[in-house]
Amino acid sequence: MFLMSLSTFRERWELFVGAILSVAVGVALVQASMVVLAATGEPQIPPGLSRQAEDQVREGFVGAATVMGMTAFLAMFLAVFIVSSTFGFTVVQRRRDLALLRLTGGSRGQLRMLLLSESLLLGVVGSVLGVPLGVVAQGIQTWLLIGMGLLPEGFSASFQVWAAVVAGVIGVGVALTGVFTASLRAARIRPLEALRETGEAARVMTVSRWLLGVSFASCTVAMVVWAQGANLIGAMLAALGISMFGAVAMSLLSPLVVPFTAWLVGIVVPAGALVGLARANLRDGVRRSAATASPLIVLVALLLGLAGTFGSLAAASGEEAKRSVAAQLVVSSTGEEAERLPAIEGVAVASRQNAVDITITVRSRSVYTGIVAVDAAEYARTHTLAPATGSLDALTGDTVFTGPAQHSERIKPGQVLAVEAGGQALQLTVVGGFPETLEAGDSFLVPRATLPVEVWAGAPTETVVQVVPGQDPDVVARRIEQAGFAQVQSVPEWAAARAENAQDGNVKILTVVMGLAGLYALMAVVNAVVIAGTERRREFAVARVTGLDRAQVVRTAVVEATAVAVIGVVLGCGVAGAGLIGISGAIHKAMGATVVYVPWTLLAVVAIGSVAVVAATSGITAAIATNPPAVSLVTTKE
Amino acid sequence: MSWHQPLTADPRQAVPAAGRSAVELHQVTRFHGPRATGVAALDGVSLSCPAGSWTAVMGPSGSGKSTLLHCAAGLDRVTSGRVFLAGRDITAAPERVLTEMRRRTIGFVFQSFNLISSLTAEQNVAFPAKLAGTRVSKSEVRQVLAGVGLADRAGHRPRELSGGQQQRVAIARAMISRPAVLFADEPTGALDSHSAKAVLDLLRTMVRSAGQTIVMVTHDPAVAAGADAVVFLSDGRIVDRMEQPSTRGVAERLARLEG
Repeated sequence: MFLMSLSTFRERWELFVGAILSVAVGVALVQASMVVLAATGEPQIPPGLSRQAEDQVREGFVGAATVMGMTAFLAMFLAVFIVSSTFGFTVVQRRRDLALLRLTGGSRGQLRMLLLSESLLLGVVGSVLGVPLGVVAQGIQTWLLIGMGLLPEGFSASFQVWAAVVAGVIGVGVALTGVFTASLRAARIRPLEALRETGEAARVMTVSRWLLGVSFASCTVAMVVWAQGANLIGAMLAALGISMFGAVAMSLLSPLVVPFTAWLVGIVVPAGALVGLARANLRDGVRRSAATASPLIVLVALLLGLAGTFGSLAAASGEEAKRSVAAQLVVSSTGEEAERLPAIEGVAVASRQNAVDITITVRSRSVYTGIVAVDAAEYARTHTLAPATGSLDALTGDTVFTGPAQHSERIKPGQVLAVEAGGQALQLTVVGGFPETLEAGDSFLVPRATLPVEVWAGAPTETVVQVVPGQDPDVVARRIEQAGFAQVQSVPEWAAARAENAQDGNVKILTVVMGLAGLYALMAVVNAVVIAGTERRREFAVARVTGLDRAQVVRTAVVEATAVAVIGVVLGCGVAGAGLIGISGAIHKAMGATVVYVPWTLLAVVAIGSVAVVAATSGITAAIATNPPAVSLVTTKE
Repeated sequence: MSWHQPLTADPRQAVPAAGRSAVELHQVTRFHGPRATGVAALDGVSLSCPAGSWTAVMGPSGSGKSTLLHCAAGLDRVTSGRVFLAGRDITAAPERVLTEMRRRTIGFVFQSFNLISSLTAEQNVAFPAKLAGTRVSKSEVRQVLAGVGLADRAGHRPRELSGGQQQRVAIARAMISRPAVLFADEPTGALDSHSAKAVLDLLRTMVRSAGQTIVMVTHDPAVAAGADAVVFLSDGRIVDRMEQPSTRGVAERLARLEG
């Protein structure tokens, strides 16, 4: 049996190289994400930093850990999905070989053993190769995290043996489970099928495929519905779940769409013998088409789904910022300069918010960032967010208000917090707090009058300006500029800038999360195309002796592959769309407005890129497969 | 190339005594598709092939030749009727029993040689025995290959062999287990006349000197004439039987059937 495995291996190397690669890269990604994730758990703080800078570095580590957690989770999902679909496909491709084994006296058990020992071999080889690849992937991920500013320069994660072992076990385990169901199916192949040239038109939509596909689809729909009533964190997780479950559902059900697409190709592309052949091939090779479309569906669904989710959240945070203020202008300056603003003609209220550098200690945890000094009355007039507890009226004297960022800390009114401001120790009583918002928001609001002047005079200050009713905000803005303020923005501009800022961060996060994972999925697409193409040598040869020249065969293959790629992209977009419906429902619930961000540019790039990659790969594969003289392939029986 | 000594009847394999049937079909019907609307590929076929005899099955395309062979060999299930193979009723035999029989009781040779492309000639021949878990010595394999005239091709892969050579490897593979019955489906169909003659000579020697039972489907009267008996199929029914056939007699009978 082992000899048989080994020699099959030699014979069908494209099939197995593809399988090994899918394991190796999957293992590498999982290993790398786990190593980096583990390293972010122990922040490396460079020496000689101020406490705020240290705090920032520490926060960066927390952010990096979140991003890496997502990356590790996605890498595992992709590894499971891609390895099992690749391995399942390799079994399907060898149907005739396996039937031949049965014909020569192989029992069902032996067939299963053969396939499982093969996948064990491939899994082990792939996992071993995955270890050095993982070190490379780890380097890339670290570089990306440092590049986006989450981790300090000079950060490095050291190689962890346990991560390699865990990733390896996952690799081998996934390879075995991926083949297991396929081997059960393969064991049911009847020996007679070896005698059929074309093989039995195997039913693609088996009962189990239907069941699995429909249940994954139902889960997806359930998550979309659930997200409508969820909070935003829940909806974000749901969006991730929708992308993953939806992708699995779509790839399981994709064979249903293939005939429809074949029909559509006939409508879109002018009729001709070649297109006719491509359409017939599409309909005939449903299993092959589905296998090629699967990784593409996952790639498109995850990439667009996540980009859409993050983008929608960023757009929503901009919208939220706009709605949070009842004002027309936002001016940036120092605290001292801002004091001149209320006196400018046309300014009704100028709520100055000084980002002060003081320390507030909550249960032995010190907070340095997001502490804002305000005048409660001005703040209340210019801001719409209602406190969750207490009232802003009480925010005078030795008091403090908790901001949205501290909401989850559950600091109760009446609690007394120790504050250190400009060398002065204060005891401030909590008099209320704000609810959580989309944006992290401020940590604490402190009455400006309570703090020493030197604490807020030089602090970076954002002043929210309400103009006198009847005055043109533009005119007032010009007047403020003339008074020596360089940065005056209208509220929509200010909100848009914040959304853009958030979006920039999202793009970086998406790059880390989906960058390598996306390349992995793309590799799986190429893999499936190559496997499908090389297995068709004889079919291509038959087409050539029927009268097609080599170029025509290649063109037919390209038309067919393009149609399959379009199926993948469209179904993937469908899944991403479901994710967007989920997140937009949650946003609607949170803010009462529907905000959806569709990543059109990314969509165009992904669609054109993946169709191009699939078309080019299938063209090259077909060209190579048609290299030997056709007659030799048609006449030699293997 | 001749059929050498090693392949005489083997005491290990219970070859049915001459005169008893190695293959028997009783009123076999095989429908393709649902019974009400389906097509009967076989329609009440009864056939008996005595042990040690060579039976050829002939008929126009679509007459049910291959279905007959597949049903007789347990590769296909019959819709009704009964099938006996080497004295055993295999009509409703479970897959496990059929697998076991493929290993020890029956051998197959097909028009498309169905060798495993990744294995050498030698490995192909030894493969069924390995599947069965029986040890075959290298010398035994070499002897069988020598028996089909391929002693010097043992290390070649199928694609490095000519069609005739591949078919002889397939015959050697079928014979390594000394099967009670050898089923052959157009064994010379894909061969040139020279290779075809060599393969036929080989089959004839196996029947004459080793008492091998062969059931063969062919459409070539010259090939069928080598057999002990020819049965003619038409539309799934046996319409004639000819003992000790001649090429001319078979050709004329077939021409009438097709006309």
